[in-house]
Amino acid sequence: MHKESELRPPLILGEKTWHDITEDVCRPVESKANKWWKIAFTVAVAGLLWWIISVSYTLGTGLGVWGLNKTVGWAWDITNFVWWVGIGHAGTLISAILLLFRQKWRLSINRSAEAMTIFAVICAATFILSHMGRPWVGYWSLPLANQFGSLWVNFNSPLVWDVFAISTYFSVSIVFWYTGLIPDFAVIRDRAKTKWSKRIYTILSFGWVGTAKNWQRFEEVSLVLAGLSTPLVLSVHSVVSMDFATSIVPGWHTTIFPPYFVAGAIFSGFAMVQTLLIIVRKVLTLEDYITIYHIDMMNRVILITGSIVGVAYLTEFFIAWYSGVEYEQYAFINRATGPYWWAYWSMMTCNVITPQLFWSSKLRENVFATFIISIFVNIGMWFERFVIIVTSLHRDYVTSSWTMYSPTWVEAGIFIGSIGLFFTCFLLFARVFPVIAMSELKTIVKSSSEGAKKKSNQSNH
Amino acid sequence: MSAAEKKFVYGIFNDDEVVVNAIGTLRSQGLKVKDVISPFPIHGLDHELGLARTRISICAFIYGMTGLSLALLMMYYMNIFDWAMDIGGKPSFAFYKNLPAFIPVTFESTVLCAAHGMVITFLLRSKILPGVEPHIIHPRMADDHFVMAIQVKEDTDLAKVESLVKAAGAVEFKS
Amino acid sequence: MGHHQHIEVTSTKPYEFTRKNRMIAGVMIIIGLIAIIAQFATHHTQTWSNLLMNNFMFMGMALCATFFLAVQYVAEVGWSAVIKRPVEAMGQAIPVAGGIMVVIILLGGQSLYHWMAPGISTPGSENYDAIIAGKNAFLNPVFFWIRVVAYFVIWTYFTKLFRKNSLLSDEGDGKGYWLKNKSAAAKFLVLFAATESTMSWDFIMSIDTHWYSTLFAWYTFAGMFVTSIAALVFTITYLKSKGYLQEVTEHHLHDIGKFMFAFSIFWTYLWFCQFMLIWYSNIPEEVTYFMLRQDHYRGWWLGSFFINFIAPFVILMTRDAKRKLYLLMYMSIVIFIGHWIDTFVMVIPGSMLTAGHHAAEAGAHHGHALSLGSVGLMEIGTTLGFIGLFMYIVQHHLSKAPLVAKNHPMLEESLHHAI
Repeated sequence: MHKESELRPPLILGEKTWHDITEDVCRPVESKANKWWKIAFTVAVAGLLWWIISVSYTLGTGLGVWGLNKTVGWAWDITNFVWWVGIGHAGTLISAILLLFRQKWRLSINRSAEAMTIFAVICAATFILSHMGRPWVGYWSLPLANQFGSLWVNFNSPLVWDVFAISTYFSVSIVFWYTGLIPDFAVIRDRAKTKWSKRIYTILSFGWVGTAKNWQRFEEVSLVLAGLSTPLVLSVHSVVSMDFATSIVPGWHTTIFPPYFVAGAIFSGFAMVQTLLIIVRKVLTLEDYITIYHIDMMNRVILITGSIVGVAYLTEFFIAWYSGVEYEQYAFINRATGPYWWAYWSMMTCNVITPQLFWSSKLRENVFATFIISIFVNIGMWFERFVIIVTSLHRDYVTSSWTMYSPTWVEAGIFIGSIGLFFTCFLLFARVFPVIAMSELKTIVKSSSEGAKKKSNQSNH
Repeated sequence: MSAAEKKFVYGIFNDDEVVVNAIGTLRSQGLKVKDVISPFPIHGLDHELGLARTRISICAFIYGMTGLSLALLMMYYMNIFDWAMDIGGKPSFAFYKNLPAFIPVTFESTVLCAAHGMVITFLLRSKILPGVEPHIIHPRMADDHFVMAIQVKEDTDLAKVESLVKAAGAVEFKS
Repeated sequence: MGHHQHIEVTSTKPYEFTRKNRMIAGVMIIIGLIAIIAQFATHHTQTWSNLLMNNFMFMGMALCATFFLAVQYVAEVGWSAVIKRPVEAMGQAIPVAGGIMVVIILLGGQSLYHWMAPGISTPGSENYDAIIAGKNAFLNPVFFWIRVVAYFVIWTYFTKLFRKNSLLSDEGDGKGYWLKNKSAAAKFLVLFAATESTMSWDFIMSIDTHWYSTLFAWYTFAGMFVTSIAALVFTITYLKSKGYLQEVTEHHLHDIGKFMFAFSIFWTYLWFCQFMLIWYSNIPEEVTYFMLRQDHYRGWWLGSFFINFIAPFVILMTRDAKRKLYLLMYMSIVIFIGHWIDTFVMVIPGSMLTAGHHAAEAGAHHGHALSLGSVGLMEIGTTLGFIGLFMYIVQHHLSKAPLVAKNHPMLEESLHHAI
């Protein structure tokens, strides 16, 4: 039998039984949407519509409607792509790395974090497709021969690595997420009242029955998927960073990029998980499952990864000076004091200083403060990518090419619209899918719930 | 043994520890306990039932190695053998010289094949696929009840089985 | 299943540092001393480089043990409670490594670090090097020595503090001392993040003074950490094979084996990132570092990659492998050798250029354009000496306190650890 130290706080509040968990998690799926959900959904769909308009306008007219120019060939598109992919990483981190580290607090949040991963990667992919200008020839990035016979994609190109990394990451994340959902769909199926919901959840649950052999395989599959996803998640943002780092652009070519991008991705992803879950626990009344302790733990991850990112910023800055390479030195001085200084200092403030507030346990356990800080981190990590991409590009080696970049309404529309797309997906998810991994959470009721802790304290004294 | 000759009766339990302990008890009393259906994975249940360890991770390894080989072969064929390109002063005329640039795709392909291959194997082996109709023995067997499947013969005295199963802690008996 | 049985702590006594083991450690230290003296006596250019790389490994094993310990506190780790005493004992080598490091750099700095050559930052001097002069604000003797002293003071302070609180907890208040160590550990980790970075630039990266890599600090960390975990695995498996630490079950071995496996992969990842990005962009400021290693140390350079990646990856992948006592012990030795080679490749190529240059100036060498390192009896002897010293320190401290901290608040959890 599993023993827990008295130092560990309960992960499920109240004296919950297994059946209570089923009831609490299924309630949002089985009942009608409340007012708050409807309001949020309306706003999200409005954003989605704006996204559709902006993307359609771009594809119909051409990339000229964006603010890009000959010097700054990548700007908001890639900033947003990297931002979204980075956000996605937290889901995989929570469900895979925390599973390997046996952190049980992941259990109440892994499902929604994984959903967030998938929607974030979808948002990221839309930027890749739209920045091609002609997405209907997007298949050219796949290893297919051209029409003359045998000119293939260039496997030396990090952009081709990206195609493989993102598509692998996306499909494996979906499979990981769905495998975990199967037993939970079976719960909803067995409770379904109407014929249609019974039929739909029967199909979704793949006819799952929890026999001993099925569970044995299920657990092994989850473990191996976690083992595969952990290096995968590292590789994905590493490959994204290599889009920059393999070049010889000052500020881009730096060897720390791969691990530093991964740390930044986890940092921003956890901030987004906080933003979402603080809303979700309130709207779906899941405060007993997503407790203050969960929020505290996530804030600690934000503090650690934020500090790692801070160390990386300082390392980059220091080594740029230490290198003695004037291009390298200029790139960093230009970031801090050049025309885009405000972006750089927004990034520094939001990413390095704000998370340090989490040294205070009062703030870590304060829901409102956490929500505000998580928004700051989201903003800061957006600026990080903007700083890396735009400030490095706008000062070319050839000074006559020096220029500035500013986005058009279309780019702004695609970005804000993509947030609408993200929330539309997430809100739909919260209505039809179980937002907490019930089957897994039930395994810790006897060891880590408040009721169990009370019982074991009584028997000890 | 054909399916028609197989007959099962079911003991319904409401606690994981009770159902696991009942396996040994009932087996020592001569019952053929074949399976336990539970709403969540029970640590050590497979051991108690005497199930063999699953070999699905070995499958994953084999799929992964297949993915690795395919990726290397593909890149060798496309970028070295069929149409070598000179990019960034690095002519790709020898496989080993280009290898560092081939590592990311090789890795992704390994993971892609291992993950998908393993999950497909899992779904096929466990026969959980869209459209499969589940055999639901108890309406709360995915919620908070545990179903123990016991194999009996046509002439088994079911009343005796029922009393044994209930004595072992079952809250309900179904035949 | 399902029984709350109580597990008794059996390791209530300290480890017994037997005469035989003292002899073994002593003989190894003497072999080391003989090797070092012999190398000096033959005016071998590699002496200082050799000492630096061995002491760096020695220091890394101790430093990362304290780091590992701090992480256990901050992350509130339960399973590792039964192996804390060996980790504490390993950390005690830090001040010794510090003393040796100061002696090495004080006496041999000019044979190791290009930037320490006299007049290197003085315009007009025949040694003048404009690039190195540009780094003078960081790489100057005064600031350098302040940093070196600060590192060892900080690391020693926290190592001793963790140990002191841990020993005091044996008297009673396990939870109180654990909480004290937890808050100290958070502070240590912040300081560690800073000092580990600058330390790796100071001791290793500044050898190849012109070269730079932003990833270098983290890469160095990964290597040190794996070596330290390997040393920990060796210590624990040795203790267990001698009948000590029976609380450590195959479940604990599995976990520590996972660390050895996972961080070997992590090291490989960083190795690849650093190499590939420099190889890919191919700019002279950076790529010369790898060209030197690729052209003159190819076997060592690739060998370290393969030993440190392929061996743990293939052998430690399965669950069963991580649970076998002797297999883990052998793997810890393999990984130690692998990272010895990696440290060799990090230190020796650059420091041998400095040493060759320094010796040529002093008139000992003529006409040698390129001074290359090699591995012979004297190098192996030196390493044996450092291993002997490490073994001596660890066993000495293990013999000072019970092998399991009996009032550790996570102990129950650790004793019941089953995966």
